[in-house]
Amino acid sequence: MSRFTMEEVGWTPRIPPVEAETATPAQLAALEACPPAQRRSTYFLTLAQDPASLGERGALFNTVMYAPRGLPRADREFSTAIVSMTNGCVYCTSVHARRFADLSKQPEAMQRVLDEGHAVESDPRRRAIADFSEKLTRTPDAVTAADLAPLRAVGMDDLQVLDLIHSIAMFANANRLMQSLGESTPPAA
Amino acid sequence: MSGDDLIEDILGIAPGSPLAELRRRRPEALRHAQGAYRELLMPEDPGNVSHVDRAALALRAALREGDEALAARFRALLEAASAQEAIMLAEDLSDAPMEGRLAALLRYADVVAARPEDVTQDTIDALTAMGLTPRDIVAVTQLVSFVPYQVRVIAGLRAMQEEAAS
Repeated sequence: MSRFTMEEVGWTPRIPPVEAETATPAQLAALEACPPAQRRSTYFLTLAQDPASLGERGALFNTVMYAPRGLPRADREFSTAIVSMTNGCVYCTSVHARRFADLSKQPEAMQRVLDEGHAVESDPRRRAIADFSEKLTRTPDAVTAADLAPLRAVGMDDLQVLDLIHSIAMFANANRLMQSLGESTPPAA
Repeated sequence: MSGDDLIEDILGIAPGSPLAELRRRRPEALRHAQGAYRELLMPEDPGNVSHVDRAALALRAALREGDEALAARFRALLEAASAQEAIMLAEDLSDAPMEGRLAALLRYADVVAARPEDVTQDTIDALTAMGLTPRDIVAVTQLVSFVPYQVRVIAGLRAMQEEAAS
């Protein structure tokens, strides 16, 4: 039984999050730079303790995940779910697996990868994305042009490859923040 | 140096080259990656984590991630500040016991960079006991977690460079 799930997973911070009522103007401004749906989450309120880094990092996250054109959003979500599984971040995996399932309307494909790992993925595009995501996550220094060939073979252009690299890199960051500053709390059995 | 972009400087991506132009199709990713770098390494108000501490933590994270070129940039920041002792501590990857505040911060960087699943409430409480505020703890964690972002963007772009050259 895999520990990864698409269900809602909780996250408990290890330091106190900022309280919306007592947030400083700098903290509120930094939160405004973050994706609207997440700016009141416990996680972002925890990051708001250091508004300078949250503002820039939140804006970076926003453009990496939501910038128009280039890599379809479903592909970005799938990739970041794979990165999160590779890094063992149960919370991030649940969020991005859910978003992929919503965007792609293929929850069963996502569930299979969560249960059995992406070696079972038979869709060539998703398989190429998953393999590259895992390798750049685990062994960035071993990645070469040969690792891009499967992405090109499924039709990715330069902008799509760049977007994929950005998504994978962003979750090297996001998973570490999430795992260090708090704890995933699995759904009640 | 192509503008003030650290990554293009490391990879030798020339202004106007196809890869430089490609990256400019995502201008906000460039701008905010540089912004995050600035706010994490040399913030105007560094709280209880000095610019030297920050560069030492980034150096340590880059070494743990095996990116020598990036590590050299952080080492240069420390050299410019004549922080030889910080360089020595950050570059000592042996398990030899290290005393002091920076050493404790570096050990936190080791866990966040390489084994973030191993961080516990005790890990964080030990930072608080050293006098770090919640803001300092978030800043240090953001910094150490940002280096892995840089490492993977550099590795991915290097593969694209190699692909274009073949």
